Amino acid sequence: MRSFSDYLRSVDDPAFLDLFSARPDLITPVPPDIASLAVRACSAPSLARAIDSLNQWQFQVLEAAAALNEPFALKSLITLTDKAASDALTHLISIGLIYPSEDGMRLSSQLRNVIGNEPAGLGPMSVAKLKLAELDNAPNDARKVLERIIWGPPRGSVGDIKNPGPGVAWLLERKFLVPLDQRTVILPREVGIYLRGGKVHKKNSINPPILEGSKRDEPQVNLAAIANIATVLRWVEELLNFWAEEPADALRAGGLGVRDLKILSNHLGVDESCTAFIAELAYLTSLISIDANDRIMPSNKFDIWLMQTPADRWQALASAWLITSRVSGLVGRVESRNVAALGPELDRVNAARVRALTLLILSENELLAPDTTSFNQLMAWRAPVRRNSSLQEELYLWTLREAEWLGITGQGAISEYGEIFLSGGDLNVINNELPKSVDHILIQSDNTAIAPGPLEHEISQQLAVMAEIESRGGATVYRFSEATIRRALDHGKTGDEIKAFLIKISKTPMPQPLEYLIADVAKKHGKLRVGNTSAFIRCEDTTLITQIMSDKKLEVLALRRIAPEVVICDHDAADTMRVLREAGYLPAAESSNGLMLTAPRANRAQTKPRPPRIIGEIEIPSDDLLNAAVRAIRTGEKSSHRQTHLRESVSQAFGALPRNSANETLELVNRFIDEKKSLSIGYADNNGSVTHRIIDPIRVSAGALIARDHATGEVQSFRIPRITGVAPM
Amino acid sequence: MADGPLIVQSDKTLLLDLDHVLSTECRRAIAPFAELERSPEHIHTYRLTPLGLWNARAAGHDAEQVIDTLIKYSRYAVPHSILIDVAEIMSRYGRLRLEADPVHGLILVTTDVAVLEEVIRARKIAALLGARIDAETIAVLPSQRGAIKQSLLRLGWPAEDFAGYVDGQAHPIELVQRGWKIRPYQTLAAESFWHGGSGVVVLPCGAGKTIVGVAAMAHAKATTLILVTNTIAARQWREELLMRTTLHEDEIGEYSGAKKEIRPITIATYQVMTKKKNGVYAHLDLFDTHDWGLIIYDEVHLLPAPIFRFTADIQSRRRLGLTATLVREDGMEGEVFSLIGPKRYDVPWKEIESQGYIAPAECIEVRVNLTEGERLLYATAEPENRYRACATTHTKRNVVEALVEKHAGEQTLVIGQYIDQLDELSEALGVPLIKGETPIKEREILFNKFRSGEITCLVVSKVANFSIDLPDATIAIQVSGAFGSRQEEAQRLGRILRPKSDGRSAKFYSVISRDTIDQDFAQNRQRFLAEQGYSYKIIDADDVFQGKM
Repeated sequence: MRSFSDYLRSVDDPAFLDLFSARPDLITPVPPDIASLAVRACSAPSLARAIDSLNQWQFQVLEAAAALNEPFALKSLITLTDKAASDALTHLISIGLIYPSEDGMRLSSQLRNVIGNEPAGLGPMSVAKLKLAELDNAPNDARKVLERIIWGPPRGSVGDIKNPGPGVAWLLERKFLVPLDQRTVILPREVGIYLRGGKVHKKNSINPPILEGSKRDEPQVNLAAIANIATVLRWVEELLNFWAEEPADALRAGGLGVRDLKILSNHLGVDESCTAFIAELAYLTSLISIDANDRIMPSNKFDIWLMQTPADRWQALASAWLITSRVSGLVGRVESRNVAALGPELDRVNAARVRALTLLILSENELLAPDTTSFNQLMAWRAPVRRNSSLQEELYLWTLREAEWLGITGQGAISEYGEIFLSGGDLNVINNELPKSVDHILIQSDNTAIAPGPLEHEISQQLAVMAEIESRGGATVYRFSEATIRRALDHGKTGDEIKAFLIKISKTPMPQPLEYLIADVAKKHGKLRVGNTSAFIRCEDTTLITQIMSDKKLEVLALRRIAPEVVICDHDAADTMRVLREAGYLPAAESSNGLMLTAPRANRAQTKPRPPRIIGEIEIPSDDLLNAAVRAIRTGEKSSHRQTHLRESVSQAFGALPRNSANETLELVNRFIDEKKSLSIGYADNNGSVTHRIIDPIRVSAGALIARDHATGEVQSFRIPRITGVAPM
Repeated sequence: MADGPLIVQSDKTLLLDLDHVLSTECRRAIAPFAELERSPEHIHTYRLTPLGLWNARAAGHDAEQVIDTLIKYSRYAVPHSILIDVAEIMSRYGRLRLEADPVHGLILVTTDVAVLEEVIRARKIAALLGARIDAETIAVLPSQRGAIKQSLLRLGWPAEDFAGYVDGQAHPIELVQRGWKIRPYQTLAAESFWHGGSGVVVLPCGAGKTIVGVAAMAHAKATTLILVTNTIAARQWREELLMRTTLHEDEIGEYSGAKKEIRPITIATYQVMTKKKNGVYAHLDLFDTHDWGLIIYDEVHLLPAPIFRFTADIQSRRRLGLTATLVREDGMEGEVFSLIGPKRYDVPWKEIESQGYIAPAECIEVRVNLTEGERLLYATAEPENRYRACATTHTKRNVVEALVEKHAGEQTLVIGQYIDQLDELSEALGVPLIKGETPIKEREILFNKFRSGEITCLVVSKVANFSIDLPDATIAIQVSGAFGSRQEEAQRLGRILRPKSDGRSAKFYSVISRDTIDQDFAQNRQRFLAEQGYSYKIIDADDVFQGKM
């Protein structure tokens, strides 16, 4: 019998290439030699990954192989399955799950552990020889029992093995059931296979189920896809523009709060799952970043992204989506209520694989918008899920939905652009198909302006300041109002500039009411001026104001005249007064409500005083205090002496462990160290229970007694406070 | 189509480019299912709403047609989600039908058992249902026909009502087209209504909604209850009926605060119907006193909430709603849909104008500069008095005088909100004033004089807002309004939009104080009028004085 590594040594280069392309984890990193390669290939994680790549039929064949004793022949495998197993076996060999040995096929070591002890729900081989033909004449009771466990799991529980029902008894007697423990019986593998009609599986799923769905028209699919592409680009741009204006706050646990998600979803006019998808797209492509203050804002990459052609922009989004392990569909799902978009909990191992496979299936079925149920069945055949399958069908659904949002599909069928994207071709065609950007708007007399197509970036940025967007889509509807014109003025535009800009980009004449609106707002804008200042100087005599304005000595104050009688400066009032006085003026201070402060204002802190604590020398106490202290110590000493005495009498009376106070212990211990005597001590452990130890003390160090314990013969440290008492032996 | 006239936005608005060659064709195609939201000069905005789509279903359009139309005229690719939504929403209409069953009476039938199972589990609906007849059918308490339609609509499963109508007591009514002729769109409107059974006809003010009502009566040939907004409107209806039909005076009764006549044709006011005596609606019986064959609701958009409740109880009678706009400021559009019926006919304002049936109008906002004193007064006024302070400023008087003088000889209405301001104006201009306290007799005398041209100028308070007919007013000057309500604008404009014999264009002046909240309200009004497609101009009071217009 040769081992798996021997087999690997014997194969040629093309076989290696096949193996490595099917299982890239084997060469990351490249193993030093074939022995290490074999070890890696037979490790449980690598095998599990390889099994995950199998379709349902290949897996069935693998299960059937696992149900056979090694070595096995192709013929017996075919007997258990179907003629088609030979192709599947070739594949299983090529990816290194099964290998041919000189005496027949063998499974790679560890593979049985990965598949489990009960492949396809079959029990262990029987030890005894069985007369399987008797099964055909099994009594009804026995049949019923068998029917329940025939398709696995092969175990069944019985009330009491000593006193089984008639059916079980019949089966046990003939060893068709084997007792496992007091209450469990198991069906031997041979019996299982016999009952299954000599096969392993109820149905050999040799061919994939046929994908059902609705037929689509090619032009319609591509039109819909282009609409989706235009939309997704717009969504992302809008989301980022929105966060540029009002950055969202990331949750402490990471990610976007439900409230922020709602706000965003309202802004974009799409539902929350779609909003989460868009936010995730922006996150995946680094268009947003979360800064040190936990604010979510567009990154510099956004500006670069905006400069790119639509095709490049879209490709960036689609590529990031295709390979990510993050699943935005989890957001807002009832079962996962607290999962946040952009949060840390969105990763799922098989997401990228599902996406790749979904798109592969779509591109294999051109112009077909798959039916959900049929699609799920096909996916289940192509990539059977053996662990945690609850999310799986939802994941398929989300993947299809997201492919549609992205425009990889249109009306549910793969689009021309999706195909080009998957094959890595030139996506420039998108640039030509997307609606041409327009450089003009139509202004109407109800104070709306309509851009009848995607507006050139520069214009749309400018217009966004002057008007509110009312409706989005292929076209954009802007509304002018007092508030929006004011915003434009706040951004530093003048009324005339706004007007000139609008006249320039509008294809229709400027309606008179809008002209009035702009003029009205511009006229009122900035009539009230607001600013910060520290001090003001006012004086009813404007000549004096003029004089201080031109006084060279006051230049340090950087005075600014804001009205004929008022001057402001950035220095505080006290400084200003000082400088004015030094320059020979006679200013008086004024309180905040206009009262004149007659005395120069003395500065007083507003907070409660907190004098520093005194640290350092201790004062010498008075005689009285000293005397009192001496008295107290004496009294204490007397009482502790009496207590020691009492304790000694008590312990002698009861013959128990010696008891001392910590100080006494230390004293005694020090004495006995010098005398090199063995001691009997009581020692409390962590739980407070006291044990009796016999020790030879060595020294005291850092609050512990180092001593040799007679019981263990080892040198140990005993903490002084835990020693309840010491007595010499 | 790569370059169609329509842009379908992702928020379900449709933008129609009027400068496009196909715009007229496209407008016709989308009008049945999309609601016109605003129609300024270049691009009209329509909206796809569930009610609009259901209205289209009720009119026999299906989702495929709607989707085809959108795709056909769309300039850019239509977002797939919108097409799906349209199909989904439209498929909801008609899955449930109310039918009359000879054995079980009123029944709710479905083509989709799952939907029926869903709705009968709703608590509000369960209480209205009778016994389950089979998987697809369930009995409905006959008295709850209206209530169940309301509740189903709220659940998003509007039921089609095929339960039919009672004919009511027959009463001969014929149109008498002497000296006038029914216009084609009026005939169409009445026919659409009649074939639909019940529903609402939307026509702009001045387009002759009353005639549509009269034509509908001529279809029904049965006793009719007409609900109108106020007494003046009731008299107008009466006049119209006498003039345009074979009906005699003693066949028409007025049921109002003043009179309580019940005749084969009875005209009642909303006010009297909603009047409570000892906490109960005292005149509710009117709906039951007669075996009415038709009930007409004038100005449906103003229908008071209690009337909806009555209407829910009379679902077996034919109902015709007449209005200029389906927009209700209280958002009860759904009630109109479920209780009175879907929209049966609709022509945009501008279309009728271009056919020459209503006069084109020009809207002019005259801005008045307040004097320093007035500005101070305004600035220091209490917030609740601010509007009044700026709306009634003295300076406006001079402008109104100048305008009246400029249009001397033309029929002119001066409209306002505050009586003392109107008193003052009436005195300054030397023209009569009609206000709430003016006796009805005197009002009618004045209106008749105005009609005959004996007097050319009238000052009117808000009593003039509703349903009075002033055929030859060419100039309206508004000095103050009720805080810029959209409906009020439509009404006021409606006053002067009746066709003029000489084809002159009507002028609608609003005099407002610059830099005050008066101007903010004006902005609201301006938006509405501009959305309706009227040209809107702003001028300074000085221009009026200097004759620069």
